[in-house]
Amino acid sequence: MANTVIGSTIVIDGEISGDEDLVVRGTIKGRIGLSASLYVENSGSVEADIETENVEISGSVTGNIRSSDKVELKSDGRMTGDIKAPRILIADGAVFKGNVDMDR
Amino acid sequence: MATRHDDDSATVIGESMLIQGNLQGDEDLHVLGRVDGSIELQRTLVVAESGIVKAEVTVKNAIISGVVVGNVHASEAVELTREGRMVGDINAPRVIIVDGASFRGNVDMGDVENMPARPPRTERPRVSAPAPAPATRSRASAPPAAAPKSEDADATVEVPAPDAGTAKTKVQIKPPSGGGSSPKKKPAFLDPPKARGLPKKGKKKRSRVVVKRK
Repeated sequence: MANTVIGSTIVIDGEISGDEDLVVRGTIKGRIGLSASLYVENSGSVEADIETENVEISGSVTGNIRSSDKVELKSDGRMTGDIKAPRILIADGAVFKGNVDMDR
Repeated sequence: MATRHDDDSATVIGESMLIQGNLQGDEDLHVLGRVDGSIELQRTLVVAESGIVKAEVTVKNAIISGVVVGNVHASEAVELTREGRMVGDINAPRVIIVDGASFRGNVDMGDVENMPARPPRTERPRVSAPAPAPATRSRASAPPAAAPKSEDADATVEVPAPDAGTAKTKVQIKPPSGGGSSPKKKPAFLDPPKARGLPKKGKKKRSRVVVKRK
């Protein structure tokens, strides 16, 4: 499936929704709703409420995440906000401030 | 370090994606999905055949093969391809509308009076595969007037008559092969009306005349 890439110079202010993977190398402010995976890469910055199946964070995220499967904060990921997901992984080196809820 | 690394310098909005809001940046943007709101780029916007853009667009170049509803300001060029459909105003020094495209709106290429007549530049912003070239050539044998995809064309988008378009809005309407093919194409009504069942009549008449002479 063709996936969506938001390049490093792109700034989106608004709402993104869809059902395919989304790779963020730029900046998104607003809201993200996906029935697939969100990848926030090193250069990526997301200031949004996020509702997806999977999230993988190597960049920076500010906002609340509600995920139906898994949230993974990689070693260079930075996140501020609450996470609600059945599986949550926080790697060594990651920076996180917020509430974690793994209720299934 | 996500798993995907395809093309570093291009942004793609996939087919199922909907973006509502403002999008700006300094790189090429390919829209296969839908964008509502505004787009502001220092580079090229490519609206693919599946793409829908309902936005105020300010870019350097725009190549439209999908649907655009809204005004487009380009500092360089706007190209409506064969599959492109657009409603809105175009403001750009170069505007290219290819045969088959649908467009309704105003075109402003700037100060037309003081503009030197320029030969069409050969290089154009081209991002995707050069698919149109062979396609247009093969169309020479197809019926000339019919829009290629009229059945799925948006009902509100109408192709303006080519003559009216050139006269009023100074749109460059480019025939697919540079106008060279137009003399070859005879309008249907100039051809002998074989298909309409008229030839029989003609033969009868002629035979009647012959009989009289005898």
